[in-house]
Amino acid sequence: MGFSVGFVIGLVGVLILSHAAYSTSQYRGLLKITEDEFSGPPFSVVVELIVGLVLCMWAALTVPGNFLSIHPHSDENRMVSLPDNLDFMIFNHRGKVFVPEINMKLKH
Amino acid sequence: MVTKSEETELNRLESQVDNGGGGAWEYLCLVRKLKVRRSDKVLKHGLSILNDSKKRSSLGSEEWTLYEEVAIAAMDCQSLEVAKDCVNVLRKKFPESKRVGRLEALLLEAKGSWGEAEKAYSSLLEDNPFDQVVHKRRVALAKAQGNLSGAIEWLNKYLETFMADHDAWRELAEIYVSLQMYKQAAFCYEELILSQPTVPLFHLAYADVLYTLGGIENLLTAKKYYSSTIDLTGGKNTRALFGICLCTSAIAQFSKGRNKEDKDCPDLQSLATAALEKEYKQRASGKLTVLTSAFKSLKVSS
Repeated sequence: MGFSVGFVIGLVGVLILSHAAYSTSQYRGLLKITEDEFSGPPFSVVVELIVGLVLCMWAALTVPGNFLSIHPHSDENRMVSLPDNLDFMIFNHRGKVFVPEINMKLKH
Repeated sequence: MVTKSEETELNRLESQVDNGGGGAWEYLCLVRKLKVRRSDKVLKHGLSILNDSKKRSSLGSEEWTLYEEVAIAAMDCQSLEVAKDCVNVLRKKFPESKRVGRLEALLLEAKGSWGEAEKAYSSLLEDNPFDQVVHKRRVALAKAQGNLSGAIEWLNKYLETFMADHDAWRELAEIYVSLQMYKQAAFCYEELILSQPTVPLFHLAYADVLYTLGGIENLLTAKKYYSSTIDLTGGKNTRALFGICLCTSAIAQFSKGRNKEDKDCPDLQSLATAALEKEYKQRASGKLTVLTSAFKSLKVSS
């Protein structure tokens, strides 16, 4: 299958996050029964949230693709020549004198 | 705009196609995308695709784009028979098309029948007075007949309507430079830098024009624009590095008696010479002595 490592890790991260949400709601249900005040999520949920966040972030940064350079002088961005101004191209140049060697014809 | 990585890709594909390694269609697409003028190669490889009916039908609707590309390339190579055949195929497929009409007029231009081409363009403009390509072709038509002042007139009229067309500004600048009308060319390059401030080549061309104009003010400005070219290219533009050296030397001659040194960046020139020496050592070590003697005659040193 075409699932990359990054994609699987992202999936695991989402699962951990949803498990954290589920255990929080469970915990609040338990608090209602014991009639305690809600002071904060249990320690295990906090750990789950942090782990899930890290995994999802890592997957989101690696799976969609590589970063592109924003430096103007990097090879992807550095301009070495302008396009030939084809809208203004004229035909009286030395091509008239030098007939191309290839003598091809459009066959149909 | 052709970036460094695109240029490398183009050269790689070109040598691959030339040595019969396949990838002709990818090459033709890249040539069209980068708008480079490789007419002989486009003609050769494009025709070999068009003559192969299996390859041609696999292109789908892209086939017609290829016909157009090959037709223009054939005109550029003066293979007028091929060009005519291609245009006829397109005319059969698209009997009403304006784009094919432009191509037919272009064929007249390639034949050298200026009057007929002019007439064809005029009738195309009557149908659609805002056809930018046709307006530009009229400029080219004047240029092809050697009527540069006419071309300038047409271009100025065109730019009054389509001010954002930077290709036209560039063309105007190049015509002015060829006529040695540097003040006007400088204005065009200013316009280009305003519209595309991140293109180092416009900064470079503007600096060249200012350096050619001469005078202490222009030289100081030219030096600044050479510096901005170096800034935008990361010091990989040899011409800008040489420009810095030439400007420094010329400015030094101006300010000789007055003892008014250029205080903004005293080590700019020594950095430029050092960068040049490093590059020559790496890529053409045999020419290093020529470089040092050139520095000596300019009275600059690292």
